[in-house]
Amino acid sequence: MDLALIYEAYRALMLEGDATWWQSFFVRFYQAFIEGNRWQQYLEGVGITIIATAMALAIGVVLGVLVAVVRTAHDQQRPGRPKNFLLGVLNLICKIYVTVIRGTPMMVQILIMGMVIFSSSRNYTMVGALTLGINSGAYVAEIIRGGLMSLDVGQSEAGRSLGLNYIDTMRFIVVPQAFKAILPALGNEFIVLLKDTSMISVIGGQELVYFAKNIVNRTFDAMFPLLGAAVIYLILVMIFTWLQGKLERRLRQSDRR
Amino acid sequence: MIVVKHLSKSFGSNLVLDNISEHIYPGEKVVVIGPSGSGKSTFLRCLNLLETPTSGTITFEGREITDPKADIDKIRQQMGMVFQHFNLFPNMTIRKNITLAPVRTGLMKQEEADETATVLLKRVDLLDKADAYPAQLSGGQKQRIAIVRALAMKPKVMLFDEPTSALDPEMVGEVLDVMKELAQEGMTMVVVTHEMGFAREVGSRVLFMDGGHILEQNEPHAFFADPKNERTKLFLSKVL
Repeated sequence: MDLALIYEAYRALMLEGDATWWQSFFVRFYQAFIEGNRWQQYLEGVGITIIATAMALAIGVVLGVLVAVVRTAHDQQRPGRPKNFLLGVLNLICKIYVTVIRGTPMMVQILIMGMVIFSSSRNYTMVGALTLGINSGAYVAEIIRGGLMSLDVGQSEAGRSLGLNYIDTMRFIVVPQAFKAILPALGNEFIVLLKDTSMISVIGGQELVYFAKNIVNRTFDAMFPLLGAAVIYLILVMIFTWLQGKLERRLRQSDRR
Repeated sequence: MIVVKHLSKSFGSNLVLDNISEHIYPGEKVVVIGPSGSGKSTFLRCLNLLETPTSGTITFEGREITDPKADIDKIRQQMGMVFQHFNLFPNMTIRKNITLAPVRTGLMKQEEADETATVLLKRVDLLDKADAYPAQLSGGQKQRIAIVRALAMKPKVMLFDEPTSALDPEMVGEVLDVMKELAQEGMTMVVVTHEMGFAREVGSRVLFMDGGHILEQNEPHAFFADPKNERTKLFLSKVL
């Protein structure tokens, strides 16, 4: 049975207005995914979506950790001693960064980056990923800072009272516990990030939604390409949620009684 | 061993320690008692600089630890501390809790630290818990491990911050027994506690603190039998 032949036959019926519901469903589905091997475009889009997410995640985590470390180190300076001037300046920069990024819409940030700051760049996807990374960094920083602060001070006091230095105390005691605590929030942020890559399409980045919209423009039928894109995002998020659950269960090992 | 001179500490406008001077000699078991809010925990925490004094100096074995240039990590390696809430590291096994600091500070190699941990765990009768996590232990067991963890650094002095206050009554004894044993071995100890029995039995000197001052101090038998200060009398009449 040749799907292409069936498609041609049904389409002819549809143009005459004689197609049944099922026949027109088949035609629209075929146009959205199969005709001209369009499914390859979705796959290409998914690939770019994943790459953009990974890049944005890397940028976001690096920025987030840096900002969180500066902010907590600044806030945890011992009272009664002169404050570190450099740390004060860095802290101010971090505060401005977090305020500006969290205070403006993602969409506006992408448009500014794509059409003002990098208006001459043709590499829209990379500009988009960079914007997402910078955006995500602000949120990740606050998540990490929250995790570090939520830990009982007794933990770091115990570490320091044993003669461990600040770095070792953070590395072996505070960070592993904080990481476990912030994992759900980080997973949440990652999911938001994955879905926000769809916004890269507004500056011409060629990810999943870009291709889906292209197909809509070709076929004049929005339903199937957009539903297809939605299902693909849903599957990606479900896979990630499953992975996150596995990691959480492994980290919970020390909680068993 | 520890010399405290004119130590004051305030949190904001709240003066918690007011010009305290005190001397702790090697081998002494100093027990600090007093009502809550009297500054006794703050006093103890100043001794290893978990709290930074507002003014005054603290000298440990001839080195001034309140000097901003002092290597506080090196000094803390020689001062063990046991907390009210144990503060074991929940993400590590008991063995790792004990060996982390000796290994990371370069005091011992991992094998040596493991051996030390085994010896110490045997002493407190918890060797079978070496590979358990803190969440699997009772309060009394946790506190004994916390003492062992501090001892693994081979400290010259041990500071105890209300080590039995967070325990169920039936578990207090097992922790005090470990502390008594430690005292008999000649360890220098500073103990903030509400256990008057322990103060009487183990202490070589009792300090009574209230309102940021050391109001009275004496050798325990005389202290409990014949308190001089009115405030001490009132306090003892309530707790004994």
